[in-house]
Amino acid sequence: MIIPIRCFTCGAVIADKWEEYIRRVSQGEDPGKVLDDLGITRYCCRRMFLTHVELIDEILRYERTSTESRYL
Amino acid sequence: MKTNIKVELNSRNEKRIVFTIKGINVALANAIRRVILSEIPTMAVDEVVIFENDSVLHDEILAHRIALVPLRTDINTLYSLKNLKELSEQEVVLTLDIEAVESGTIVYSSDLKSTDPIVRPVYDNIPIVKLEKGQKLLLEAYARYGLGKDHAKWQAACVSAYKYKPIIDIDEEKCLACGECAKVCPKSIIKVNDVAHVEEEISCTLCKLCEKACPVGAIRVHWDDTTFIFKVETNGSIPVEHLPTLAVHILRIRLLDLKNSIISTVKQLEEEESA
Repeated sequence: MIIPIRCFTCGAVIADKWEEYIRRVSQGEDPGKVLDDLGITRYCCRRMFLTHVELIDEILRYERTSTESRYL
Repeated sequence: MKTNIKVELNSRNEKRIVFTIKGINVALANAIRRVILSEIPTMAVDEVVIFENDSVLHDEILAHRIALVPLRTDINTLYSLKNLKELSEQEVVLTLDIEAVESGTIVYSSDLKSTDPIVRPVYDNIPIVKLEKGQKLLLEAYARYGLGKDHAKWQAACVSAYKYKPIIDIDEEKCLACGECAKVCPKSIIKVNDVAHVEEEISCTLCKLCEKACPVGAIRVHWDDTTFIFKVETNGSIPVEHLPTLAVHILRIRLLDLKNSIISTVKQLEEEESA
């Protein structure tokens, strides 16, 4: 759905680095090198980035857009 | 009795430190490690009152995400602590009030407005949720002190580990400089010129592959069981250099608690006997 705030295994904060990661990877940089650059050294944290699928943009399209519509 | 404890800093950056403690035993080293990991009190959001949530995330998930955002904890409060109970009444309120004016607005941790100048999100750019145009979010979050053993959101350190100080002895007279040991070392810390020698002994993982690879048995890998190399990493709620000292402080409070309860139990027994 959306990038988890912390690594599931070690609890290090990862969400603050997600936007830079996805921006650089989508520009064609090597994911492994970007993670090295961001200082993400452990493989528990690295898999959080490598295996994450950001689905929230897909879900957003089907959502209500205002409080009023909930009661219609 | 003489104690001879020495501490040496090996490396440090803003999130991680590596340091060596010489002259302690496993019991004490492990006590420090465990306190760093799970018993240093930190602030984290403990209760969330949601007034309005139009977002695609359910209230529970939203509250969970907000709770995992690390908050800066006041270390002076922790250092002046005499009893852990003192912390139970402290509370900081954070509010989040946002209406998305355009599609795909990202709500960041910086949008959490705190009533306390010290206790606020450590990182400003953690995405909490994404909103569609017109969606609203209004909530109040209450941050309280807690311990890592109760929930990971209260953990101050994400890594706290130690190992014995490795010692690699190479018998230079036996060594053939064949390079077999250098080939198998996973950390590549053995170099061979005229004779094999070790660079950065501290990186050794004690795997003993070099010992097995040596055809003439010139290498012996062992360790100093009174010297410990600690590696500690913070998630930002407490500056990393304060974690070991705070751990010792908290351990001391716990031990004093223990001492007092032993004294009162003994007193009670004596009274019962004399009655």
